[in-house]
Amino acid sequence: MENRDEAPLPGVSGMVNDGAPGDADVVAQILGGDGEAFGILIRRYEPGLLRFATRMLGNPDAAADAVAESLVRAYRHLAQCRDPGRLRSWLYRITGNRCRSHLARRHTNDISLSDAPPLSDGSDAWAVLERGEQVALVERALAALPAEKREAFVLKHVEGMSYEEMAQVTGARIPTLKMRVHRAREALLVALEEVVR
Amino acid sequence: MSPIDPRLQEALDGERDPGDLPLDLREAYTRVTVATQMLKAPPPVSVASRVMAEIRQGPPPVLDEGLARRLLHWWLGRPRAVTVRLRPVWTLALAAGLATVLFLQWPTGIQTPGVAQGIANFVGHFPGARSVEVVGSFNDWSRGVLHLNDDDGDGIWHGEAVLPAGPHEYMFVVDGERWVPDPLAGRYVDDGFGAGQQNSLVIVRPASAQP
Repeated sequence: MENRDEAPLPGVSGMVNDGAPGDADVVAQILGGDGEAFGILIRRYEPGLLRFATRMLGNPDAAADAVAESLVRAYRHLAQCRDPGRLRSWLYRITGNRCRSHLARRHTNDISLSDAPPLSDGSDAWAVLERGEQVALVERALAALPAEKREAFVLKHVEGMSYEEMAQVTGARIPTLKMRVHRAREALLVALEEVVR
Repeated sequence: MSPIDPRLQEALDGERDPGDLPLDLREAYTRVTVATQMLKAPPPVSVASRVMAEIRQGPPPVLDEGLARRLLHWWLGRPRAVTVRLRPVWTLALAAGLATVLFLQWPTGIQTPGVAQGIANFVGHFPGARSVEVVGSFNDWSRGVLHLNDDDGDGIWHGEAVLPAGPHEYMFVVDGERWVPDPLAGRYVDDGFGAGQQNSLVIVRPASAQP
């Protein structure tokens, strides 16, 4: 079985799988004066960053703002990226930081109920719920988690990061992150079971 | 909330084959896996054009000397075919330009501060260090601009610079590799990139306001 913690990260080698230049190549190109090359990094990481921010903030518009601000900030401080081979972690760290600031401005780490998708009426069994309802149900359960657990769960299971990379993104220690992911799974399972019961 | 079975956690962490789990745990494993798959759909929006429009309005990012050296080493270490075709006259011009850069001495000595400027003093104790320099918001975090000196070899490195009055964030770069905050700064601010790292903060008073 493949252990995700040992899997190579995308974009860290000289060339990525599709023959496109690796992150360090692109960073060198940008710092050499070709600002348009930043578009390559946007195309490479925007979907994941938007997904991460949307799961963190529960609101697509706020997530788009957070990702746009983070990417502009990353571009302007690209020279401060001390390891371009870990650019993905660096971008997620900036975006995670922006999301935390956004949540702090709301004076709560939780996603407000108005932002979370509507809840299914619970009368349907899990197996027969339409996919849209299932997605809403899962999003609702995720939104109910505290921000730190939600972040750890999303980075691990949605973005597919190793615990080592998660530590680079969040600044938290690996045992702490494992605990957060474990607690998030427990809460998520309880929430899912309560709805389908 | 009751903790879930450690075997399920191990399977979800990729440390155990889910096929070895008992039926009830396998169902829970499937439930979590299916739920996470639902969250993986990328949002149907893009901020690419908005970001590119914004960065085109501002200055390009400044190349940090340390990063440039690492990138150069990395680039030079990779095999690649390079073809350079130059006319002899351009070759001579290039050589003359390089000679100018190599032999020109950058003027040393500190300037006289203007009306809205002041002098910032930087002191750090780095015994055994080969070089210490200061990078900060005032020089776009570029290396090679502000070097500290330790003329008597006692490990105390010092230097000064004329800066605009007001707060400036900075870090010491020791031996060209280690970025460390100034332990004597007294004031620190979050570096804005998460992970709890801090920059040192110096507040420069206008020279006209100093006694």
